[in-house]
Amino acid sequence: MLLSSVIIVLREVLEAALLFSVLIALSKQMGVNFRWLVWSMLLGLLGAFIYGMNIQLVSEWFEGVGQEVSNALIQLVIYFMLVLYMLMLSYYSYRQKTSKFLLSLIMTVIVALAMTREGAEIILYFFSVTHSDAHYLAVLVGMTIGASIGISIGLLFYYLLNSLKPERSIFIGLILLLLVSAGMISQASLLLIQADWLPAQLPLWNSSELLSEKSVTGQLLYALLGYESTPTAIQAGLYLLSLILPLTLIAGLKFTCTKNHSSL
Amino acid sequence: MNDSMIKKMLYVFLIFLFSFQAIVYAGTPVINIEIRNHLFIPSEIVIPKNTKVKLIIHNHDETDEEFESFELNREKVIVGQCKGIIFIGPLPEGEYPFFGEFFPKTAQGKVIVK
Repeated sequence: MLLSSVIIVLREVLEAALLFSVLIALSKQMGVNFRWLVWSMLLGLLGAFIYGMNIQLVSEWFEGVGQEVSNALIQLVIYFMLVLYMLMLSYYSYRQKTSKFLLSLIMTVIVALAMTREGAEIILYFFSVTHSDAHYLAVLVGMTIGASIGISIGLLFYYLLNSLKPERSIFIGLILLLLVSAGMISQASLLLIQADWLPAQLPLWNSSELLSEKSVTGQLLYALLGYESTPTAIQAGLYLLSLILPLTLIAGLKFTCTKNHSSL
Repeated sequence: MNDSMIKKMLYVFLIFLFSFQAIVYAGTPVINIEIRNHLFIPSEIVIPKNTKVKLIIHNHDETDEEFESFELNREKVIVGQCKGIIFIGPLPEGEYPFFGEFFPKTAQGKVIVK
């Protein structure tokens, strides 16, 4: 009981912790204070409770695939917020200015939505395993250990990013966000395939022998960039598109910024 | 083109649409799995290769369970005393384990694709 509760909480927390640590480190670079974090975490907790408590209702939406559709929608919104964030980050790196309010707002939406999704699962897990009491303490200890490991890895990422020179940490942060955001699309497309909203296909390849999704590295890569060992063509295609979109926008932004600059 | 012709075309179109729907539904096999006392019943299911299958999972326990499989790329909370739908496949031949993430000690099963 203890070990399985460590694993389930770690898996949920790790994904969120990696994303949050990058956002927090980058916003610090851009001079945004941490007030947004408090609000977004409170909102996220509230969202997780509301989602968790209404999971039965949500499940029944869209003829029984409401969970998949809602989660995919959450991932999609997070993706587009991340694209906006990446654009603002690039703009900051060219012009050294930004709208702190808009940045805080974007990050609040991302953190609150991510916590809603991951948190709801943790809450459901907790109520399910403690239903027949017996393992109350073991589960609580396990969950705390799992959460602590996840948060520690997040903190490690935060300090690593913070210890770099500003330009370098923005560049590396941008790459990390790009990967995380594409991972969101990978997960969203998977959910929509599971719901039969996107066509099901035979997997394109099977790299599970090479790198299993069950392994520690596989799990880390799943959390970081949405690694799948057996993706379908649609999933892989959307993944690529989700990488190309922000890159194109950033390139366009760079072009306009440098052009305006030279005409001044 | 007169009204009756348009009506006829509409009928043909509707019949076409419904027959297509019937084919779609007839083409997706349905397999029922039960969850009782944190066990999947049956714990092994056999499905044809290269075919999409609709799993209906009936959770008879009071507690929620999360159907999870790395091999099938599937993850879904099945609320206690409710049922959940999961589409799987098409898949190449092989064995695809799945488990209940909330009670993984007992809730274990696999999909055998032949």
